Amino acid sequence: MKRIGVDVGGTFTDLVFWDDESGRSFTHKTPSTPADPSQAIITGIVELCQLAECDPMSVDMVFHGTTVATNIALEHNGSRVGLITTDGFRDILHIARKKRPYNFSSYQDLPWQSFPLVRRRDRLTVAGRIRADGEVEVPLDEKGARAAIRTLKDAKVDAVAVCFLHAYANPAHERRVGELLAEEFPAAFVSLSSEVAPQYREYERFSTTALNAYIGPKVSRYLGNLAREAAAKKISKEIHLMASAGGVVTLASAAEKPVSLLMSGPVAGLLAGCEIGKASGQRSVITLDVGGTSADVGVAPDGELRMKHLLDTKIGAYDAMVPMAEVDTIGAGGGSIAYVDRGGMFSVGPRSAGADPGPACYGRGGTEPTSTDALVVLGWLRPQNFLGGALDIDADAARAAVEVRVARELETSVEYAATGIFQILSHSMGEAVSLQSVRKGFDPRDFALVPQGGAGPLFGWDVARQLQIPRVVVPRHPGIASAIGLLSTDIRYEFPATVWERSDDPDLDRLEAEFRRLADVALEQLRADGIDEGAVTIARTADCRYEGQGYELRVPVPGGPVSPEWVADTVAAFGDAHERAYSRRFEDVPVQIVNIRVIGVGTVAKHAIPPVAAEGLDPKGALKQTVAAYFPDGESSEPRQHETAVYDRSRLGSGAEIVGPAIIEQFDSTTIVGPGQRASVDQVGHLIIEAVAA
Amino acid sequence: MKSETRAQAVSTSLAGSAERRTTVEVDPTTLRVIGGALDAIAKEMAQVLYRMAYSSIIRESEDLGAGIFDVSGRELCESDSTPMHIGSIPAYIRGVNRRLAGTYQPGDVILHNHPYHGASHSPDYCVLIPIFWEGEQLGFAGCTGHVLDIGGAFPGLSLDVVDVWAEGKLIDAAKIYSAGVRNDDLFQHILDNVRTPDMNRGDIEAMIACCRLGERRFTELLERFGLETVLSAVEMWMDYSERMLRQEIEKVPDGVYPAPEAWLDDDGKNYGEPLKIALSVEVSGSDITVDLTGSSPQVETAFNVPFEGSVLPTCNFAVRTLFLDEATHQEFIPQNDGAFRAVSAIAPLGTIYNPRFPASNFARFSQINRIPELLGLALAEVMPDRVVAGCSAAVQSLAYSGVLDDGEQYWVYVEVNEGSYGGRCGKDGLDSVDCLMANTRNNPIEELELRQPMLCERYELRDDPPAAGRWRGGIGSIRRWRFLTKTFVGAEGDKRTDVPKGLFGGHDGHSGEIVLNPGRAGEKELPAKFTNASFEAGEVLEILLPCGAGYGDPLERDPHAVLVDVLDELITVAEAGEDYGVAIDPGTLTVDEAATRELRAARHRGGGDG
Repeated sequence: MKRIGVDVGGTFTDLVFWDDESGRSFTHKTPSTPADPSQAIITGIVELCQLAECDPMSVDMVFHGTTVATNIALEHNGSRVGLITTDGFRDILHIARKKRPYNFSSYQDLPWQSFPLVRRRDRLTVAGRIRADGEVEVPLDEKGARAAIRTLKDAKVDAVAVCFLHAYANPAHERRVGELLAEEFPAAFVSLSSEVAPQYREYERFSTTALNAYIGPKVSRYLGNLAREAAAKKISKEIHLMASAGGVVTLASAAEKPVSLLMSGPVAGLLAGCEIGKASGQRSVITLDVGGTSADVGVAPDGELRMKHLLDTKIGAYDAMVPMAEVDTIGAGGGSIAYVDRGGMFSVGPRSAGADPGPACYGRGGTEPTSTDALVVLGWLRPQNFLGGALDIDADAARAAVEVRVARELETSVEYAATGIFQILSHSMGEAVSLQSVRKGFDPRDFALVPQGGAGPLFGWDVARQLQIPRVVVPRHPGIASAIGLLSTDIRYEFPATVWERSDDPDLDRLEAEFRRLADVALEQLRADGIDEGAVTIARTADCRYEGQGYELRVPVPGGPVSPEWVADTVAAFGDAHERAYSRRFEDVPVQIVNIRVIGVGTVAKHAIPPVAAEGLDPKGALKQTVAAYFPDGESSEPRQHETAVYDRSRLGSGAEIVGPAIIEQFDSTTIVGPGQRASVDQVGHLIIEAVAA
Repeated sequence: MKSETRAQAVSTSLAGSAERRTTVEVDPTTLRVIGGALDAIAKEMAQVLYRMAYSSIIRESEDLGAGIFDVSGRELCESDSTPMHIGSIPAYIRGVNRRLAGTYQPGDVILHNHPYHGASHSPDYCVLIPIFWEGEQLGFAGCTGHVLDIGGAFPGLSLDVVDVWAEGKLIDAAKIYSAGVRNDDLFQHILDNVRTPDMNRGDIEAMIACCRLGERRFTELLERFGLETVLSAVEMWMDYSERMLRQEIEKVPDGVYPAPEAWLDDDGKNYGEPLKIALSVEVSGSDITVDLTGSSPQVETAFNVPFEGSVLPTCNFAVRTLFLDEATHQEFIPQNDGAFRAVSAIAPLGTIYNPRFPASNFARFSQINRIPELLGLALAEVMPDRVVAGCSAAVQSLAYSGVLDDGEQYWVYVEVNEGSYGGRCGKDGLDSVDCLMANTRNNPIEELELRQPMLCERYELRDDPPAAGRWRGGIGSIRRWRFLTKTFVGAEGDKRTDVPKGLFGGHDGHSGEIVLNPGRAGEKELPAKFTNASFEAGEVLEILLPCGAGYGDPLERDPHAVLVDVLDELITVAEAGEDYGVAIDPGTLTVDEAATRELRAARHRGGGDG
């Protein structure tokens, strides 16, 4: 089987080709085309196939990760959306949860009011009311619904979100309005809340649905272009997209529910980490993907993704109640700006110099010191190695920026200031890792850290040291890890339903029927995707809470018939999850099963990362030179100068062993091995750093 | 209760006076790292509490606070959950210390809610766990949370009650665990005296889990960096917060700035008898004092304010918001004892802001939320670009309750309704959002209807036009509940008579309203405060929340902003002409620029006549 992974980022589109039979792989990078991202994808695939000397038609599968949906939401440039909602509830999206983002501020803006997904003029109401138990309180006013649809059509909206109260319990009114829309306004992109996010909590469900409609027309246009162009160029049979929950979905399904693509990019990075770890014998991984402005942190115990709490699934300021793998983003990257504030406090980020003007050392007019500048001062980033020397780096400008803006203010040496910039960022990354691991009941000592992105391997060694993570696995190509992650995913769908059952008085037949119904939907979808029945697995989870609590925890629950034993197992699984999250369980309190979910997975044959040639234990052949570089002295911020070997990563064969401190350079990334640490290249070419000195 | 303990409790600033136990050198990088860790501890504590809690006021509204404190109650770090709780725990600790100082042991868990010994008000329970390090008590992990019911005369909310004992069960520094052993009888006794024992038990468990987590995290921090370094860093962060605030206060010329005269409607019993609020601000160098002298004497109902637990945290909030607005000051300035040092408050004993024991002081939000509003109005002339026109300020809360089917417990739902902001320099007021000291979340209607026998008929922006101004006032909401069974209701609100005041030519806002059975037989307007009303199945209660005032002359409003409000059906074409002098073509719905110029010119000429 021949496969291609395509990761579309803001600047570059990364591609990886993999042929199972021959074991050959190729990577490629091409500039992104933000106006129509499909162009770079098609160009990249054609170029990559030439490189691999393979006919694009013979490619079996293309897996695609994209930030297009995310960027529409973050840049507020989605489509004009109309909303049809229950009479009396026109402004649910405007009032939101009525809580201000900041406590101490009268001059803040409320993003949902400043940048509404649907403007008030396009929010129309229709009589028709469902009760919490799903019974109809007021029948749907079909005439009113038709009138509302025509008003929105005349207003030339591109998309319509249909959001009725309690539609998760009874979708009849929404479905009927959906039918009327198909009759009256077939050109509109339509989203029903009962289909996009069939769960209780009206604001979050409405927001998710409106967001889906907001990004829908643009995303489906882009995916349409992609499908058309791919067909014209005879590329592959099937293009799949990475969804936020960590599986891929078909292009058609993604175009219908683009809100499921919001975490597409970061999740691919986490999956890549799992695959990279596995190839090096590490099942439990923590990934640290450091880019220019931000760092993504993900934790996968036993190589399994964890799902975010549904109330934490936001994109920018918008709530999106869809399954998302637990990946956190913090404002710490290569462009993060260091400064000393008016109160004398030393800080780094979250403000970033971005690509323009970029770090001071880029010589494009930036005068504020960034973390990249600090690492130039420390001697870790060498001007001659930036993108293989393709970028002109002004080391003096880096030094001057750190000196003027930080060292003089703090009355310290430039090296001290640079060390501090590194440590502050590294600690905030450590804090993010700890938030995702220790604070959720996972011991980082049981994990391996997989640093990714151009800058990840500069920080990995120190983040691991702080948190006592024993091993760092630096992939062969840290800069394109996300594209590799795309090659190692399954096809995955998740279908939820709100059921409100109680453990002390459950309706077993109803639960069983609901699980079956959802499983049928999942099987149907996977069959439509062309997955063999034999390759399908069905898993169940439930969102539970103790009777009276307000927030659920998601727990895996047994398959098989829903029996009293099944209920007891579910209660026990929830007790474990509650104890892990809050260090406490209650034995005598009934458990409420709020939502149930069925996850259908179509297993895709995985590629194995091939071994690199063994080249003996002596890395001397890869030694470029020895330099003087500065490193922090343990927890102390006082830098110490070390004789540091600089190696060429491409010439390090498996078995090579390195003693830190060392700098290992490759085209788009630099890896640091800290003082006292040891590193070796394993049989698949990953650099393994023993982070915790024995 | 002895009067001298009471007198002793009065202080004018929340800042503690403990001696610095240590000062070792902490380098700038380590300092930053410890600051980040303290913030993360407080945030994580709060998250455990609200995710695990039972009471809807804690879990949905996030009406809670959590942090780490030293033995004298100085705040080392605190979560920024909701302003009313921020900075209230130091006073609780001082109240608890007066009884328990010297008796703390590892494994103790203390519960406290006494409003004359530091509590914010009696339903805000506080749990404290002493933190020990190498045998010595270093401080406390503590949290507060609003429980649904505390017994007393009425479910959920108290107004017309005779004293603090009538408002609810008082718990004054009770050890519910001693050295790790739970006092089951005491715990049971506390739960036996409230209407929602299951809920309260779950909430107390969540609060204990929250404090245990804080204790563990703080100990881990000590293990990592060492006692001396952590405590020195804490002192440096306090000094930093103090310095940042003082730098801003210093920019205001010294002087005494009186707020415009302000009134509270009544005490919830003697309707039609307004109560005066006199507030003035004294700026002296980098110190600021909020003086409430001249405000109404204390009242006979629960409409009084705990001084230490409520007035002091409010003054800190008000000053910090005005001088270090988070939207315009991006620095991370942690909430700690240092943030309190520049701020003090004065309210004579025996007045509404500092009542004498044992007057009830349960219902205090509407009074205290006038403090930040009036502080801004007092300083409007010297800080015109930082202040806000009159806001909803007073908070309308309603407690709905009834007996559960099992006949043993109550269901209680306390709704803290949102308000809106006045116009701001360069920006319209925020619509339908919690105002100033209030910052809680609403409960999903889809959850409420499942738990409570009530049906929501309407929840949207109210129909009245927003208050005109160059930057218009925010728009309040309307909520309509239909009762499906016999329901008890209590209400706490204010500001019907003293509406949000326009600033620099902006129009005044609109007050709130509560209407029973609107548009049908039995329609009746109800006051903002009432005690223990009961309504039958089928009756409807409509609650309208206030609209903030306008800022600046409406004739200077950008005509296109006026058009947007017309298109969004917030104002009519006629109102655009009348209030803003903007002519909008009703056919094309576009601004008629020429007619607008004429209209505005005529208005300016005509303005001289009035």
